[in-house]
Amino acid sequence: MKDTWIDRRSFLRGLGAVAATSALAACGTGTSRSAGGGAGTGSKTLVVRNSGGAYGDANMKAVLEPFMKETGIEIKVINPNYAQMLAQIKQGRPQFDLIDNSMIDFVKFAQEDATQQIDYDRLKSVKNADIPKNLLTPTAVGKNYWGSVIGYRTDAFGGKKPNSWADFWDTAALPGSRGLQHVDADIPELEFALLADGVPMDQLYPLDLDRAFRKLDEIKGSVKKYWDTGALPGVLLGRREVDASTVWYGRLNDLIKQGQPLAYVFQGARRQSNGWAIPRGAANVDAAYQLIDYSLRPEVQAHFSEIYPFAPVVPAAYKSIKDEVAATLLGAPQNLETGFDANVEWWVGNDEVVTKRWQEWARV
Amino acid sequence: MAVLAPPPEPVVAAAATGGWRRRLSGRRTRFGLLNATPVVVYLLVLFVYPIFSTLLLSLKDEDGGFTLHWYADALSGTSLDILLITLRISAETSAISLVVGFLLAYWITRLRPIWAGLVMLVVVVPHFISALVRTYGWIILLGDHGLVNETLVALHVPGAPFQLLYNELGVVIGTTSVMLPYTVLLLYAVMRGVDRGLIAAAASMGAGRLVTFFRVYLPLVAPGLVNAGILSFILCLGYYLTPALMGGPKQTMVASLIDEQVMKNNQWNGASALGVILLLLTFAGLLSLRLVKSVSEAAKNRGGA
Repeated sequence: MKDTWIDRRSFLRGLGAVAATSALAACGTGTSRSAGGGAGTGSKTLVVRNSGGAYGDANMKAVLEPFMKETGIEIKVINPNYAQMLAQIKQGRPQFDLIDNSMIDFVKFAQEDATQQIDYDRLKSVKNADIPKNLLTPTAVGKNYWGSVIGYRTDAFGGKKPNSWADFWDTAALPGSRGLQHVDADIPELEFALLADGVPMDQLYPLDLDRAFRKLDEIKGSVKKYWDTGALPGVLLGRREVDASTVWYGRLNDLIKQGQPLAYVFQGARRQSNGWAIPRGAANVDAAYQLIDYSLRPEVQAHFSEIYPFAPVVPAAYKSIKDEVAATLLGAPQNLETGFDANVEWWVGNDEVVTKRWQEWARV
Repeated sequence: MAVLAPPPEPVVAAAATGGWRRRLSGRRTRFGLLNATPVVVYLLVLFVYPIFSTLLLSLKDEDGGFTLHWYADALSGTSLDILLITLRISAETSAISLVVGFLLAYWITRLRPIWAGLVMLVVVVPHFISALVRTYGWIILLGDHGLVNETLVALHVPGAPFQLLYNELGVVIGTTSVMLPYTVLLLYAVMRGVDRGLIAAAASMGAGRLVTFFRVYLPLVAPGLVNAGILSFILCLGYYLTPALMGGPKQTMVASLIDEQVMKNNQWNGASALGVILLLLTFAGLLSLRLVKSVSEAAKNRGGA
């Protein structure tokens, strides 16, 4: 009897110890990757953050996997969003070493002092590569052009099709439900409203907020869903919940390949660029630089554009991109006339105000 | 559901100081305390501390001083609208899941045990499936070209297809389906406890079916109805997933607003204030449950005297 008691007590003590260690371990997951962790050379894993989805898959196939094969560096991909990343960096121990994100967000990161200065001497691919100057910022390196366009069902409007934002807004001529992007996903789509209202593409900025929201009021009744993830427009269009929607260019490609009657309209496309930045407190800075450098090689840029329709930022990449592929890239020289570049400075300065106004507009 | 359990009897408060010492010196007590320590530490670290830091955060302004303006913000303008929408959707959900749950539970009590077990399984098993998957299931069923609308159109129902998604109807359908197992389980337990003899007695004394239902059966199951209603209301208040996926912008609920404040606006103080308000509403719900109980008990005692 006494023996069992002792046994039970020591068992309980052991149990307590187990509970305590696991609790500590749970608290400590953040520290295990900290920069000063001392693991140093032993840690070979590079953690990359991107937005996942079809873009993440293409990125893995075209850039990350070949990079792993060439260097032997293991890559892990995670998808935290802006606020999560910022919170982790502020805590001093981000779970990622390299951020793949839109260049507008990197300006915000820089304002929060969350990203490291880029040492351009460590990036061989950038030298003499003629990457546009505005994509080589002190804390971020651009790597691709992407954009928002109209996506629509080709079987929806009885043979007619939208050719412009004015058509997208014209629910009398092209009746059906619409989808617009939610402010949770990216900067609101005010430019499209202004284009639909007749503002010329080269006179959009500074945006006339009152005019844009007035125009948005017109289409509000036809908007069935404001999509908050890049994959949702494809779902909504594919399930015939909406007949036309704004969409991040490229996200419908898989559905089109599967035979869905979907198409894009390039006219009035809003182009943005995305790129790389290294967070403060990153554990594996060396590998991060290696990957940035690798991703900007002309042949890697070309390979990615063939798998996913984001245009390269290195002009030399076009030498190895087939013409019919280049024709499908929003940022390719022959398509520049159809769209406009989102004005990064304007959006960084006004994002907060516009976001708040959009949130209130959408709910009334 | 643990929150609905009656609070432990206040034995400790009643014990004198001497009693305290005696109790603590008992081997069984020491053993009990040892057992409780991990749980207490766990709750302190992972539950009490975060709640208090949330409370503090909601009372801090940008410079770290004391302020109530996050609460003023939360209780005005669109935030207030969202709070009211949340209350309305929660009320609708708990009302509908009470009615449907009542009918379902009543039907199950009338079934033979084997069938009752099977039907119960059908009610409860979907709850083991991820809420995300179930919600997508509803989205596929309720879409403009989903099964429900296609069937209605094929049957030439006037007005079909109906918009069953991305509006308040869609949200309430979704949340009700989530809450239904809770109400059915609670009501079923109460209904099983009803003595059928009382119903028979009422009938033998000349009460019609309606009178028996309203004057005998309903008072007997009323505690279960109150429990189930308030539970589903409380659960719905903080529900995030279904409203976010099956609703439109006009069905934004408080949980989504909190998410937006943190994830989009980087506004932790305002989000904390909303969280505290949600917690207070939950407490108010629990308190009303206690009140209803004590009032009904008082009434019962008076009736007995």
